Amino acid sequence: MLTVRQLSFNYPNSRPVLKSIDLDFETGNIYGLFGKNGEGKSTLMKIMTGLLFPKSGTSTLHGDNVKKRNAESLQHVFFVPEDFELPSLSIATFEKVQSPFYPKFSKEKFYELIEEFKLYPTNIISKLSFGQKKKVLMAFGLSTNTKVLLLDEPTNGLDIPSKSQFRKVMASAVDEGKCIVISTHQVRDLHSLINHVVILDNASVIFDQPLETVSEGLWFGKASNPDESSILYSESSFGGKTILARNDMEETEVDLELLFNGVLSQPNKINAILKDFHHGPRV
Amino acid sequence: MDFDNGKPIYLQIVDFFYENILMKRWMEDERIPSVREVAMMVEVNPNTAIRAFNHLQDLEVIYNKRGIGYFVSEDGYTKVLDIKRREFMEQMLPDVFKKMTLLNISMDDLKNTYNQQENEKK
Amino acid sequence: MAQEFSLPRIGQFIRRDLTIHKGTFVTGLLVSAVLLFLFCTLNMVWDKKLALEEFFGIFGVFYIPMGVLFTFSLFKEFNDTKSNHLYLSLPISIPERLAAKWFTLTVIYTAVFSLLAILVGMLAITVGTVIFSADFNVLSIFTEHYWNVIKVYFVIQPIFLVGAITFTKNRIGKTVLSLGLLALVFLLFNFILFAIFNHSYGVFSGNAIGSDAIDNVGEDFSMMGKWFYGLIFGPIMLVVAYFKMIEKEV
Repeated sequence: MLTVRQLSFNYPNSRPVLKSIDLDFETGNIYGLFGKNGEGKSTLMKIMTGLLFPKSGTSTLHGDNVKKRNAESLQHVFFVPEDFELPSLSIATFEKVQSPFYPKFSKEKFYELIEEFKLYPTNIISKLSFGQKKKVLMAFGLSTNTKVLLLDEPTNGLDIPSKSQFRKVMASAVDEGKCIVISTHQVRDLHSLINHVVILDNASVIFDQPLETVSEGLWFGKASNPDESSILYSESSFGGKTILARNDMEETEVDLELLFNGVLSQPNKINAILKDFHHGPRV
Repeated sequence: MDFDNGKPIYLQIVDFFYENILMKRWMEDERIPSVREVAMMVEVNPNTAIRAFNHLQDLEVIYNKRGIGYFVSEDGYTKVLDIKRREFMEQMLPDVFKKMTLLNISMDDLKNTYNQQENEKK
Repeated sequence: MAQEFSLPRIGQFIRRDLTIHKGTFVTGLLVSAVLLFLFCTLNMVWDKKLALEEFFGIFGVFYIPMGVLFTFSLFKEFNDTKSNHLYLSLPISIPERLAAKWFTLTVIYTAVFSLLAILVGMLAITVGTVIFSADFNVLSIFTEHYWNVIKVYFVIQPIFLVGAITFTKNRIGKTVLSLGLLALVFLLFNFILFAIFNHSYGVFSGNAIGSDAIDNVGEDFSMMGKWFYGLIFGPIMLVVAYFKMIEKEV
């Protein structure tokens, strides 16, 4: 649905931020976009919303190039940036002036989420803390019912109870018609939500797999006396965890942090193992 | 819900179902929360929750009434009891026995400790 | 493309702008009203009357700068790096955005300001008649003085619109500066044109004749020049604004 092809980008007079990126985002999934700081996660999201223009290549939504910023394609995308400022209005007024642009906006959902986030419609947005502003914007984004929801570091600035609220809300938000992309370097906050992992490194996509494939092909945990040759990646610390080729072993939970570190240091080994697992379209 | 690393999340959700059924919080032939509700409750991707539901459906612990939702099977309680008993006998006990040999604990020691605890409860 | 120009959406966008910038507008208008009142009253101290010409002179002094100021504040969101993500990703097409901004800043602003100014002016005259026993007269917008001021505003407003879009910092200053440079270039351009056309008549040989000729030609060309510059500064600037908006990135 949201398709990125041969996309490259660099800021004026600086090294490439993205080089020949190819990605496909489909509905019904929550994508985790991981990468070290400054690896182009935010840039990619801005390009996918049409806020930045690629130097070459395209990002299309239902076949429409998003950089045209057509009103009609913008109705299908909502982007929550990492850092932003909202107009100094009350939450209710903000909703009134902002929501008419989204044909599928659900007022009930918005006020439900505002309540869930322990906010009040009469709150003046400029007087809220950053975390609360973020909740307002996320509640709004979810209520627009756009097909694509892009969240850049959504858990930054949220306290621990809010992170849990956020996961609950996200778990209820995804459905057949929706595609959520979350970029983060805080892998832990979101590991139970994501079902597809994309890892960016050195301006390229070095990993792009559904979690289902990962858990089929790889084994995560503390292995006692593993065969040296089957170790794909191992944490050096004492009692460190390892990634093994799963073969006939029991399925383990995918340790995203371990996977992330493993892919950064051994991309080829890990991708080679997973290449043999094929998946048709998932339900 | 806190997840322990190692066991796949969907199996941990399955355990959560088992517990509710064994504790009689979810009665037989009673409707249980929907996929979305469970996903929200345990803060996971609905796809993961669906996997847990499918797993339980395969084991005939729950069944799906089209358009209405999921229900605990008529003999759901016995089925879960059976599964959990087998799990206990086949997976937990061997570990306990191994530890007992290692620590030189006899069957009588075990019995005594057990009786003592039962008395305390009363 | 049928969905790319929708009047309801333009209406919603105008409403959004007015709501968000309500504070700025109200403050600006109030300050203008007070100053307008003071200037009108002071004007009556000397000659005991407030002629239409005088009134619309004062009117222009506030109406145009305030319009320029509002133009810049209305584009603040557009250039602010923290708020323009939300602003630029709002599902509204660029022609719609431009139409909404233009309509708010010219038609709506002019209507509101004119009404306010007339009311304040009338109040000032009433006060004037009572205190300085000035002549009473009725202010009306159906005069040439009024429409001249409006014309000037409608022609220069798009220039400031482009300035507000183009520059991210010190926007007013930079726009005025560029305008100054532009005026200089045009002056030079006109002079060269004039020189080319009139060189053969030897207008540059004698000072007196030359300046006479310039005056004459100036009159002849003024009609054409009005149209020429009216066109450049009005519609063409709007087209420039359109392309600037298309090219805008965060």
